[in-house]
Amino acid sequence: MSPEALELDWSVLAVVLGGALATWLTRVGGPWLIARVRLGPAANAALEATPGAVLVALVAPAALSRPSDALAAALVCLIARRVPMAVAVAVGVVAVVLLRRLL
Amino acid sequence: MSTDTLTIPASPRQEFALGVVHALPVVAGAVPFGFLLGSLAAKAGLSPLDMGLMSGLVFAGSSQFVAVELWGKGTAGLAVVGAILLVNLRHLLMGATLAPRLRGVSAPRAGAALFFMTDEVWALALRRGEGLAFAYWYGVGVTLYLAWLGSTVAGTLAGALIADPAAWGLDFTFIAVFLCLLAGFWRGVRSLPPWLASAAAALTVHTLSPGGPWHILAGAVAGGAVAAWQGRGRVRYEP
Repeated sequence: MSPEALELDWSVLAVVLGGALATWLTRVGGPWLIARVRLGPAANAALEATPGAVLVALVAPAALSRPSDALAAALVCLIARRVPMAVAVAVGVVAVVLLRRLL
Repeated sequence: MSTDTLTIPASPRQEFALGVVHALPVVAGAVPFGFLLGSLAAKAGLSPLDMGLMSGLVFAGSSQFVAVELWGKGTAGLAVVGAILLVNLRHLLMGATLAPRLRGVSAPRAGAALFFMTDEVWALALRRGEGLAFAYWYGVGVTLYLAWLGSTVAGTLAGALIADPAAWGLDFTFIAVFLCLLAGFWRGVRSLPPWLASAAAALTVHTLSPGGPWHILAGAVAGGAVAAWQGRGRVRYEP
């Protein structure tokens, strides 16, 4: 293993530790919370929808930045639930390369 | 598998082994995914050690993809942690469904076991029936953990060897991955209004402040608000 492989960026470490703590709290928080707070159906639905909404927000500006990328993104959405992820990603990448040349 | 309906009490060792076996199909799906994450992390400037620490301590796939993407764009550390938190909020709902099975279990024991709660571990454990068989839980959890750690670190080591990713359309990889992850959160037509609200809010905020992480928060809030409005009257978490 090269020495670079063991390089540790302290700012990355801070994010990793913060992310680890936040994630662990979401894991142990469920049973803890349910014993104390009764989540209403609206709060439940909001929590359930959050991961999807975050992913949409992340991807929307980049996916809609140019017509070629938007078309390739639409193609990935169509096949994502039918084929393994590696295949869907590969198809998307090939499609975007071709579409960027055409459009 | 016929063993799913086994009602004879099994020894902890048998339960653990059964957990390992049930985890194998999930491992087959997780390894290429982890490898891809690792290679993208290498491009975002993370070392294999950085990646190993992240996979070993965070151990939550979707949120790690989000973190690596944001980190590569130079997003502030606190915003990256906030994004990880938002993506993992669904754990609260998953954990809540386990509460009856954790009654009488000591806090340290529950806290340690819940560290391994991913979507897959949770789903397999629920399918396993009444009570939380700790040996089975750890059989699934530890197997996935080792596969995830190994594949993400291997991907980072390999990714450092590939030169310019944009030339190959590989900058589109993140978009494709996020869309595939998104497809996994599809719950039928009712998923559409929150997603459209999130896209509209994110695009608006992104136009006003490009480069900032605020469009993610805007999308999360808008999507959550629409879902809350839709969800009045529904009762339980349906994964």
